[in-house]
Amino acid sequence: MKSALASSGADIAAAVRSGAVSARVAVQASLDRIAATEPVVNACTAVLAERALKRAELVDLSPRRARMKLAGVPFAVKNLFDVAGLPTLAGAAIEREAPPASRDAVLIRRLEAEGGVLVAALNMDEYAYGFTTENTHFGPTRNPHDPSRVSGGSSGGSAATVAAGQVPLSLGSDTNGSIRVPSSLCGTFGLKPTFGRLPRTGSYPFVGSLDHLGPFARSVADLALAYDVMLGPDAHDPACAQRDIEAVADQLAAGIGGLRIGVLGGWFREQTCPEAVAAVDRVAQALQVTRLIELPEVARARAAAFIVTCAEGSALHLPNLRVRPHDFDPLTRDRFLANALIPAAWAQRAQRVRHWFAQRAARAFETVDVLIAPATPCTAPLIGTEWLEINGQRLPARPSLGLLAQPISCIGLPVVTVPLWGTNPAAPHLPIGVQLIAAPWREDACLRVAAALEAQGVCSAPVAAGL
Amino acid sequence: MEHRAYIDAAAAMLGLKIPTEARPGVDTYFQLAASMAALLEGLPLSHADESGTVFVPVSPRGDEG
Repeated sequence: MKSALASSGADIAAAVRSGAVSARVAVQASLDRIAATEPVVNACTAVLAERALKRAELVDLSPRRARMKLAGVPFAVKNLFDVAGLPTLAGAAIEREAPPASRDAVLIRRLEAEGGVLVAALNMDEYAYGFTTENTHFGPTRNPHDPSRVSGGSSGGSAATVAAGQVPLSLGSDTNGSIRVPSSLCGTFGLKPTFGRLPRTGSYPFVGSLDHLGPFARSVADLALAYDVMLGPDAHDPACAQRDIEAVADQLAAGIGGLRIGVLGGWFREQTCPEAVAAVDRVAQALQVTRLIELPEVARARAAAFIVTCAEGSALHLPNLRVRPHDFDPLTRDRFLANALIPAAWAQRAQRVRHWFAQRAARAFETVDVLIAPATPCTAPLIGTEWLEINGQRLPARPSLGLLAQPISCIGLPVVTVPLWGTNPAAPHLPIGVQLIAAPWREDACLRVAAALEAQGVCSAPVAAGL
Repeated sequence: MEHRAYIDAAAAMLGLKIPTEARPGVDTYFQLAASMAALLEGLPLSHADESGTVFVPVSPRGDEG
């Protein structure tokens, strides 16, 4: 096994299964790394040392240890996942008053059933409404590759903890880009599965019509390993599809043979800075892809996601908006208040446009299996950035980080985000992510392409140096 | 109706008291939402274009059909 800091989840699990390393040692190494890097990164809102060490001992003593897929693998979760004994914060000071969760979220239980060990809960934008994790209540999560810059959001803690080498694996959520944006800015791999694939039971919702949960990791194999363990329906999430388990880890080595791949044009090349286009072109060149595909009405699809988010997100918080607006993060409060006022006809129209766009995208996928697009328009902005210059337009920074992610999650497509390096000559130390997008339920296709790119050395997710 | 008048009326209807310091932001973000809604109105749809939300009926336990 490599040093605990750089080890993949698969490496740790193999070492613990064989008895070469104990789960306790693996978990203690993670806790030590958290202690050493948190003063800079601020990814964690709760470190669960006592729970984690007890759990690690159970793994070490388990008669199933030698068969556990995640034996002794430390992982962390965005703090919108229920963790037994803790209030589920969802990034909000208001939720500090919530009663502690009575049991863990379903996905935590599934990871721990295979020997994974939860070590921390992670910072995020308040109620998942943001793309930067500049949380006023809990402080900003800083980018491990450059602490003066944002980590992305809303799952900023989930990406930063992996990039900082605190854990090899984390979970986050993605409603409009909240796995893909921080993956891109922190240089991690991220998987946003198909809408309805993984159960959300025991997580704090943002927008029920759009919320997805998924993993972050430093390798494609770890993404697939965690994803496979979490698969399977759950009756308590009404959006969760009743599908058989379709595991993917065994398919990663299949390569890209037989997959039809195209580059997304139009909106996805226009709403970008040069480093995003350079990253896509590097991926396309590595895959020998020249085909350009345009989806129709992408701006309207983004608008549909925007309005659905406004309507559902604000309705959820209306009782608190009425009586305690001052307790919201100033970065979300004005938006929640404005959004609470929008007419029902706008929200209904947005859902119809969303379905219209999903049908057009399905037609495109009749002739292609994987589409390539940037995950963010640019590399990580400095903390506090208010405006971005994107293709000659001056745009508000925080919402614009999701310009390229939002139209895709609007229609629930599975996406693997892969990190590339050195495409921004002004900041060669910063990563940027590329989305590998497939038709619904084809996570296998995205992951196969990601694995091929990783094997070629086109993308990688190293632990940040200098922390 | 002008945006600010709508905001006042809708907030009162919903029982929302918008803090003074939040008002400029609320105006800005409501207008942003309005511009997004205008984009959506610009796409021709027919009565056959259904909503993206689909209700799933809930059967009693042991009677899943």
